[in-house]
Amino acid sequence: MSTTVDPVRTTSHPYRRTATLAAAFGLALRSLRNIRRLPSAFLPALLMPVFQAVAFSGTYFGITQLPGFPTDRSINWFLPLATVMGSSFSGLGIGFATIRDLEGGFYDRLRMSPAPRRSLVLGPLMAAWGRTLIVVTIVFVVGTIAGARLTDGALGLVTLYVAGLGMSTIGTGWGLGLAYRFRDMRAAAIMQLTLFVGLFLTSAQTPLPVMTGWLHAVARVNPLTNILRLARVGFLGDIRWADCWGGLVAIAGLGGLAMLFARRGLAALDD
Amino acid sequence: MSLAALTSERRTAILAQTWAMSKRAILALARQPATVIPSLVFPLFFVALGTAAFGRAVELPDFPEVDSFLDFALAGAIVQGVLFGAITSATALATDIETGFFDRLLASPTSRVSILVSRLAGAMAYAGVQTLVFVVVLLPFGLSVRAGPVGVLVMVAGGMLTALAVGGVMSAMALRTGSSEAVQGSFPLLFIMLFLSSAFFPRQTMHGAYKRIADVNPISHLVEGARDLTIEGLSWSAVARTLLISGGLAVLAIAVALRSLRKRIAAR
Repeated sequence: MSTTVDPVRTTSHPYRRTATLAAAFGLALRSLRNIRRLPSAFLPALLMPVFQAVAFSGTYFGITQLPGFPTDRSINWFLPLATVMGSSFSGLGIGFATIRDLEGGFYDRLRMSPAPRRSLVLGPLMAAWGRTLIVVTIVFVVGTIAGARLTDGALGLVTLYVAGLGMSTIGTGWGLGLAYRFRDMRAAAIMQLTLFVGLFLTSAQTPLPVMTGWLHAVARVNPLTNILRLARVGFLGDIRWADCWGGLVAIAGLGGLAMLFARRGLAALDD
Repeated sequence: MSLAALTSERRTAILAQTWAMSKRAILALARQPATVIPSLVFPLFFVALGTAAFGRAVELPDFPEVDSFLDFALAGAIVQGVLFGAITSATALATDIETGFFDRLLASPTSRVSILVSRLAGAMAYAGVQTLVFVVVLLPFGLSVRAGPVGVLVMVAGGMLTALAVGGVMSAMALRTGSSEAVQGSFPLLFIMLFLSSAFFPRQTMHGAYKRIADVNPISHLVEGARDLTIEGLSWSAVARTLLISGGLAVLAIAVALRSLRKRIAAR
């Protein structure tokens, strides 16, 4: 008896790559269509960052007068925070949707289909990026109306989108990984709480030189601080490579780990 | 019918029923710590975060004279915790409606008002505990309440009245919708109200439309009463602002909640 190897199942086969992309694209489209079908699931992820940008810049308007604060526009400081927060929650939203699919049985049908496994992670990631583009664009437009200004041209917008997409990748990987492991809404609370706390233990509210005590020590080593710096770089003066590379490394590292966490979670689900 | 017009036997029965259901509401909170812990932990987390992030903000020219940002942040934390805690109590009322327990109570000879009052009593008791916990936990970290123990008692009373006010509004929503999801969904509204006030930062440092909204937001004045007790000391003005604003809001909220209760009973 001879053993045959199905060329399609060889990971590097071009057909398999096409099949992965096609399935991922289909899943991403389904997820994006759900924005229209179930707006209540997406609207909080959109409205909260808009509110956060406006509310934080209004509430903490006075802190821009502190010595060492890098801008005199509070909205320039808080708009990038709101976009990063909104982007990460766009990613987590995919985790919530996956929990719904797991609880409703749709995921079992997906796993029984011949769709390549990696498409089950790649598709939601593409959907999260789509959601993130909507969130970052709307928060930026509202922020600009509220007085935010780019300080070094359109390149600042590019860094804002890159930081947003990076946080969205991290949120998606984290959300999917937890969803696959818990398989119910308990995961939703953990997803939100951990990312929320992680983002606030950074230079979210004040720059490192302004903050004091324990928070300074934590924020200095928190890689999310670098991603926030990347998001803000176009709003606080000239864009320098020194303010960007840390964020890019953090996105690559945390994003990679988060997606690995998701992939392993999916494998555990299959077992 | 007013309580005074009732026979003493009926009055005693209503009080006994209210007490029994209040005890149930309070025990339910104690037995499900997962539902109440966030409203204790989150305000404390934000105080810790705010104190480290905005510690130097006390140097701002318009910032009220205060020993540390921790003293400034206490009042905001109390109101924040009480708002979230009151939602938990109203959610429990909505859950009673969803599970049919509310209907069983109506089918029994229980006083209708006691169904509502007991839930509000639970919210008030929890708010009192929350306020004390916040003060006790923050004392070792350098908190000083200038108004002393009397000031703390006034803050506890203010917290309980605020819980009554918020619990009343949320209970009205629970009675109207009969949905715990709708009550939970009102959380962002309260969060927005809180942010559009001076709960986290002084109004003196705000400007423009935002400052005007914070000026007219009753939460600002409520928080500032308790804050004055912490950073300035005991004064009639601070006591009045802490108790009268929350008390006034509570009276309005109870009226709305009773109206909703009557409507729900009439609709049955």
